[in-house]
Amino acid sequence: MSEYESAGSLNLPIESMKMMAESVGVAGLSDSAAKELADEINFRLKTVIQDATKFMHHGKRKKLSTMDIDHALKIKNIEPLYGFANADHIPFRFASGGGRELHFLEDKEIDIAEIIGGPLPKLPLDVALRAHWLSIDGIQPAVPENPPSLSKDQQRLESSDPVSKLAKIGDKTQKKSTTLTAIKKPKTETVQVKQLTAHELSVEQQLYYKEITEACVGSDEARRAEAFQSLASDPGLHQMLPRLCTFIAEGVRVNVVQNNLAPLIYLMRMVKALLSNQTLYLEKYLHELVPAVTSCMVSKQLCLRPEVDNHWALRDFSSRLIAQICKNYHTTTNNCQTRVTRLFCRALANDKMPLASFYGALVGLSELGTEVIKAFIIPKIRAIGERIELYLDGSGQANADRIAASHIKQLTIKVMVPILKVTRQPPDNVDDYRQEFGYLGPALHGAVNRARSQTTTTTASSGVISSGAAGSLGLSAGRGTIVMGGATGSATTSRNQTSAVANAASNPTKYMFVTSRPSTPVQATAPQTTQVVKLVSGAGQANKQTVMTTNQPKYVMVNSSQIVRDVGNKAPIKMEGTEVAPEVKMESSMVIKTENITILDD
Amino acid sequence: MEYSMNQLPQAINSDVKTQSSENQNSEVASDNSASQTLDSENVDSNTLAAVLQFLQKHNLKGTADALKKEARLKEDQLRDAQALQVDSEATNLLSSYKSEGDPNAYEKAYLSYRRFVESSLDVYKHELSLVLYPLFVHMYLEMIYNNHEAEASKFMERFSIDQEDYYQEDLKKVSFITKKEHMKGSDLMENFKSSQFTVRMSRDTYSVLKRFLQDKNQSIVMNVIQEHLYVDMYEGVPRNKAQVESTAGAMEGEANRQVNKTKIYYGLLKEPDIQLPVVEEEEEGEPGEGGEKPKKKKPKKDPLLNKKAKSDPNAPPASRLPLPDLRDIDKLEKVRALREASKRVALGPDSLPSICFYTMLNCTETVTCVEFCEDSSLLAAGFSDSILKVWSLVPQKLRAMKPAEQLADIDKEAEDVLVRMMDDKTGETMKVLYGHCGPVYSASFSHDRTLLLSSSEDATIRLWSLQTWTCLVVYKGHIYPVWDVRFSPHGYYFSSVGHDRTARLWATDHHQPLRIFAGHYSDVDVVQFHPNSNYVATGSSDRSVRLWDCVSGNCVRLMTGHKGTVSALCFSTDGRFLASGGADQKVLVWDLAYGHLLADLPGHVMTISSLAFSRDGTVFATASLDGSIQLWDFFRLTDESSLEDVNISGHNPDLLKRSNVIESLRLARYPTKATPVMSLHFTRRNLLLAAGMFEG
Repeated sequence: MSEYESAGSLNLPIESMKMMAESVGVAGLSDSAAKELADEINFRLKTVIQDATKFMHHGKRKKLSTMDIDHALKIKNIEPLYGFANADHIPFRFASGGGRELHFLEDKEIDIAEIIGGPLPKLPLDVALRAHWLSIDGIQPAVPENPPSLSKDQQRLESSDPVSKLAKIGDKTQKKSTTLTAIKKPKTETVQVKQLTAHELSVEQQLYYKEITEACVGSDEARRAEAFQSLASDPGLHQMLPRLCTFIAEGVRVNVVQNNLAPLIYLMRMVKALLSNQTLYLEKYLHELVPAVTSCMVSKQLCLRPEVDNHWALRDFSSRLIAQICKNYHTTTNNCQTRVTRLFCRALANDKMPLASFYGALVGLSELGTEVIKAFIIPKIRAIGERIELYLDGSGQANADRIAASHIKQLTIKVMVPILKVTRQPPDNVDDYRQEFGYLGPALHGAVNRARSQTTTTTASSGVISSGAAGSLGLSAGRGTIVMGGATGSATTSRNQTSAVANAASNPTKYMFVTSRPSTPVQATAPQTTQVVKLVSGAGQANKQTVMTTNQPKYVMVNSSQIVRDVGNKAPIKMEGTEVAPEVKMESSMVIKTENITILDD
Repeated sequence: MEYSMNQLPQAINSDVKTQSSENQNSEVASDNSASQTLDSENVDSNTLAAVLQFLQKHNLKGTADALKKEARLKEDQLRDAQALQVDSEATNLLSSYKSEGDPNAYEKAYLSYRRFVESSLDVYKHELSLVLYPLFVHMYLEMIYNNHEAEASKFMERFSIDQEDYYQEDLKKVSFITKKEHMKGSDLMENFKSSQFTVRMSRDTYSVLKRFLQDKNQSIVMNVIQEHLYVDMYEGVPRNKAQVESTAGAMEGEANRQVNKTKIYYGLLKEPDIQLPVVEEEEEGEPGEGGEKPKKKKPKKDPLLNKKAKSDPNAPPASRLPLPDLRDIDKLEKVRALREASKRVALGPDSLPSICFYTMLNCTETVTCVEFCEDSSLLAAGFSDSILKVWSLVPQKLRAMKPAEQLADIDKEAEDVLVRMMDDKTGETMKVLYGHCGPVYSASFSHDRTLLLSSSEDATIRLWSLQTWTCLVVYKGHIYPVWDVRFSPHGYYFSSVGHDRTARLWATDHHQPLRIFAGHYSDVDVVQFHPNSNYVATGSSDRSVRLWDCVSGNCVRLMTGHKGTVSALCFSTDGRFLASGGADQKVLVWDLAYGHLLADLPGHVMTISSLAFSRDGTVFATASLDGSIQLWDFFRLTDESSLEDVNISGHNPDLLKRSNVIESLRLARYPTKATPVMSLHFTRRNLLLAAGMFEG
């Protein structure tokens, strides 16, 4: 308030008075008269506003409304200003120009016909009364209605500066002691000394932990969805975080050794849920989470039948998790991203590394953003090409290795195209590419060319293209895709058995799992709007294109947890059909997308 | 109106030095006599003129004519009186500002007084500095009055920052006045010119001050002190800074010690013996009496024993204030309450209450008040769009009474006649009451849950029936918005306060107020009945809390210490203590026996909106618009402060010294997500209910 006072004491200038006088038809107001008037009006206005604030306070509001002014005028026995009633603050607009500043009321022209013809506005929601427990026997329960007992900022502070917590405890005990001496007659004073030992979880929390962990890795899909929902949204979890993180780390350790793909996927989805919980600050638990997640990316074997099972989806999903972790919790002290990058680079450089791990390291790097790709992958493309060439072209190789090699190839192309498209100037020359990138050169060249033509057509049609925003793609689409990926991931496993059984005979065929992140270059260059729908259509197109160009007979397995859950046995039947026309496939992939959208909406 | 007339007697009190208590008392007496003189036969012409003037001012010609005719006053006679009145007002109130002095002398005089305060001994410094604020204001007004506007604004600019924070708001108002003409209309002005600012000083401090004034020949300072200050002198040691600050801040200065000398009956009324054939004679229903012992497990059979336990020496005689007789339904209710009370949870530092929070959704910034009924079964909310909603918080739905013709068919002897009277078809969980034409600022349930009072910006109080769900009476008496209304705990009486600076006592069957309590210097914002119904406490924007005697109409306690508008009041369960909360984010606890400040409970960061004592009086809950609820150990607070140690200087230095102890009295703090807490209520079983509107 005092700054208001100092700001020219808030007086109406004489010019304003003259202006107002003119507007009501009094021309040539003398300076002295204007001054007299201004003084008087200042005084009256201020007293009115003073009274209006009383109404504001009694209305339990923090914002003065036009109604308050009306009421203040009323008690002064002045007719209120009718017609200015507004639920919101007074909608003055500000304009300035030519050194003059102006506040004015915006008076929109409204077409009566539009109002008459238009649909009726929605009724506002009625006032509702909702009860919850703010405290139970003195303890505030951690329900969504209550604020988180330990705010995220506080968690962050404590993780970065544990001394602050100690100081607080010390402070408390100290205060207790001073009060005791001050009172002098302690009577039946009981001093509660807070132990520094790890506190125990309450019975409810123990039950919750048991339920949640069982649901997460159990077989009931609906319960699992609920459990993940709970992990992602409940505000009071931070006390259980150490336990949950240990659970995840232990689970990964055991299941990686035993090659159990399904539990690994569930555990990763748990990590995902915890990451998306707005009230949790995970930095203190990265030492458990990062190894667990990276294990799921670079382990040489994650499932029992590497040639059949889709462990690639898990690797992709985990890589997105690690990128998310790096993004959220990288600080200059923990150097999270740097360490993760170094780990993957070392893996890439190692020639003895199994192809699956190689893939994991590659996908991990590719998720960390454009700069990382430029710095660490581009120089290595030639080496990558040399490595996989052997497996792709050689005939005597194991099937698993060939699959792995082709995955690596696809991934490289997918990751590289958006970047090459920007960094290299057209026209593209196959020979240049071959020279620079070796074995992968021609494939990259083809993909870049395609992407360029795609871009121009889309530009013409929609004009919403932001080219070369591959980095921002990860961010903008990040949330959506991860959720979708999660859905697919789980479905993959539950699907694996059926698919394996169904197609055991016709093994040489290839499975292409349509995850929500289509692995074609087009996807990456598709319009980078945040609207998921657009991405989806782009994705559909992309799938179609791959099929068309590669022209190989493929069985496309379309997976979605929704289908598995809701359609039940209908989906498998569909899957057992040997040949699916590209159109059909596209359709079904669309189905998934829309369903995924509904998930997002949830 | 009563108010401005009461100014007159005060003009006599221009004699400063240590006024006698009689003088003060006569002032109080004249205060309360004002309402009576209106009705009495021989209205003196001055009063009549004032009334007429008021009527003319408000364009009430018909009434004015009627009054003239009735009083059979001749026009000229009237004019004389009017002239006299205007004259006397002007001369008495404003002329004191007349001075021929050089405007620059004020600045010098103020500076020299400030220097004197700064250079005086630490012991006296704080009490002497109390004079700075009134001195400053009156000097400013004097300059304005004598048309030295430029000098005045310079004076204001230069020294207003010197004043204490809690005066800044008033100073802003004073600074609006930049012309002599403005002085007439301003409310605040009226206070400054008409009343005396009370400054409490020890005898030693006073003599230091006197010496300064005589030695330095400070005519201007002397003049202001003589004209506008009342020095309340006491024997004893000068107070320290904390003590001075704890009671400073009110618009009229500090509470005069003389005001708080009257004996008041703060004890509870004897519970009536209920001779009903109902089981469980757990008669010991005095809530708060011996709250700390585990609740009434043993049924006491001897009613005599109970009586003895309950005869409180401080209780008012039962006949002091006529109360309505208990009806059968009231007795049933009492029995129910007793039975509930027997299941009450004993609260304490180790067993904190559970809190059930009712959030009102979809109504951002439209809810103006929320109120629970005594047995916690109903909740009423007033809205800024003039409606009043009542929710049922229990499974029973809200039913309306059947129409008259159907009522006639009901067998009146039937056991369940009360149930049969109600129409099941009308059962709803929420009912809306329409009638007001301005924001509803408060609501209050009667004890038997059949009536609801509401007060509104439209200057009316409405009485609603919760059986027919219609408006029964509109009480028109206040001429300005009514900020608060409250039913007496025994029903029948209710009290209201409003912008017209008065508090009024009403009875539901009278359309005019029984008492008008005038004395506050600004809006009266909140009112609360004493549990024994004999007293009413009011809190005002003049930053003081007053206690009024419903029987005599006198102000019996004046308590200063708030630094902002008083926004919430609550009596302790045993009736001895009063807690008040204000826009200054403070919660103050007062001992009514002497009017002492007992404690200042800090911790909220916005206006205090509601206060509540647990039913056994051990836990005290405070709620604020900052969206938090705090619990305090009230048993320890009262236990550890030496209540009987009546300090001769009339202030309680006790608990204030140990502000770190206060911190340890806080038992818990519960924040909400984004819901300013608007109301608190302890159920009969000591569950704490709270309500607020969500501001997400």
